[in-house]
Amino acid sequence: MSTMGPGGEQPFSGLEDSSVDAAVLRMLLGSQLRRLREAAGITPEGAGYEIRASRSKISRLENGRVKLKSRDMTDLLTLYGVTDESVRSSFLALVKQSNAPDWWMEYSDILPDWFEPYLGLESAAATIRSFEVQYVHGLFQTEDYARAVTRLRRKTAPAAEIERRVALRLRRQGLLSRPDPPRIWSVMDEAVLRRQVGGPVVMRAQFERLIEVAELQHVSLQVVPFARGCHAGESGSFTVLRFKERDLPDVVYLEQLTGASYLEQRSDVEHYLEAVDELSSEALTPAETSSFIEQIYWET
Amino acid sequence: MDEPPVPGGTAAGPGVRPPFDTSVANQARIYDYLLGGTNNYAADRAAVDAVLKVAPELGFSARANRAFLGRVIRHLAQEAGIRQFLDIGTGIPTAGNIHEVAQGIAPESRVVYVDYDPIVLAHARALLNSHVAGATEYIDADLRDTGTILSQAARLLDFTTPVAVTLLMILHVIPDSDDPYAIVATVMDALPPGSYLAVSHLGSELLGQESRQGFDDIVRRQAQQPYIGRSQEQIARFFEGMSLVDPGVVRVEEWRPDPGADATGRSALWCALARKR
Repeated sequence: MSTMGPGGEQPFSGLEDSSVDAAVLRMLLGSQLRRLREAAGITPEGAGYEIRASRSKISRLENGRVKLKSRDMTDLLTLYGVTDESVRSSFLALVKQSNAPDWWMEYSDILPDWFEPYLGLESAAATIRSFEVQYVHGLFQTEDYARAVTRLRRKTAPAAEIERRVALRLRRQGLLSRPDPPRIWSVMDEAVLRRQVGGPVVMRAQFERLIEVAELQHVSLQVVPFARGCHAGESGSFTVLRFKERDLPDVVYLEQLTGASYLEQRSDVEHYLEAVDELSSEALTPAETSSFIEQIYWET
Repeated sequence: MDEPPVPGGTAAGPGVRPPFDTSVANQARIYDYLLGGTNNYAADRAAVDAVLKVAPELGFSARANRAFLGRVIRHLAQEAGIRQFLDIGTGIPTAGNIHEVAQGIAPESRVVYVDYDPIVLAHARALLNSHVAGATEYIDADLRDTGTILSQAARLLDFTTPVAVTLLMILHVIPDSDDPYAIVATVMDALPPGSYLAVSHLGSELLGQESRQGFDDIVRRQAQQPYIGRSQEQIARFFEGMSLVDPGVVRVEEWRPDPGADATGRSALWCALARKR
């Protein structure tokens, strides 16, 4: 995408296409805003002052993590010297489109605010690469496995809440069967397969599910067996999200007990890409992985 | 799913397998970066950025090589009726891979890819999953290990009918001390008459003296593999005893160019296609 100067060029032509995900649009609008701000030589603090917001709010806006208000967009465009009326109105139309309600809003009661941006990124991603050491990837969990994991994490939660959390997870899996699904390339440690979550019956059904998803055209599963010894994944589980729009930087998602980190600095992201590349080359091939899971199925 | 799990993977053949190392530039990732891909690291980008300063024609060369790959596979599948392909030195998969081009023309085409780079193999095997075709396979082997390549390729390819071998931008990694001519001859000897060999290769006389010196310096200091340029005449020797397909040994962008092809540059790569008699 060419840099958009205040010279009157339309903001990213083609994106008026309503099929573009609202979450992607927020990220693209954010990265355009960052470029305009930098071109105008304005600091994040300066921009924040203009729209009565903090520096970190500007950073979240520019990363596409929060929704933009039309009024803030108008003020920022003025501050950045974008005066051409047609450009301004295209931007505002895109803001409106990017504020379409996300499906997960109906789960806002159980959705921690640090996890919500992940759902936007996940649904916007063209490629999802992950390394799992603890549990089966959320997109591949069976309902019973998801329930067992959720109960482990929230021992005192009422049954109704557990069920809503499970429902949210299953809803997320709609990603796998949508028309233009992301490529999901997931590497897991053998420990994920050995850890008895919910008991042998649940585990065997989960293994069947894994073998099934591994057959999907857009899914690649790999296991790093214990026999391989130490590996590059000592950091624990992580997910790297890559987007079709080349303007958008890759994002690494790291989850902790009470929050999550989203890394975007190329120098940080590259460490994780390197780790996931190394893990993928150490792991069993996708074909070997399916046989390996089958073998563990029979041992369970 | 017919392969048993082999913890430890296939045995490494002779030759020096590049370890997984992102601190030095690596040929597959250099090529990926030159083609505008995203599977590369800081060291690869630094080396390429430095090379492009002394030899800017290498950016065009990478794109022209990729375009040559498409044209030569199309020619082989469409005009020559080839249905079996053995590609050695595959590189990181990008758009327009051989099996996509060949199977787009003839779905029954069988393609065996060979590479020795762990990153290439990881990406290739994961991506291979994304194609329904059962007739594509990846072999983990060094070009110098022709025994492994031929015995494993024979599991998918039938060596009693013609096979097209593609050695694109790989022979210049093999120094004379490893006898690249003998390697190519061993592979072609295993195949029947009517088989084809396609090569693209860094041309020693295609870079100016200054570019070449700068390029060699950067490669020596920053890259995992060597790049040994060879002359047009030396490239022709790879095809000894075979019939060169017109127009013979030419720069990659000159090989049967498509109408309206990118003619904005001059590459530093020789190429040719020949048919085994």
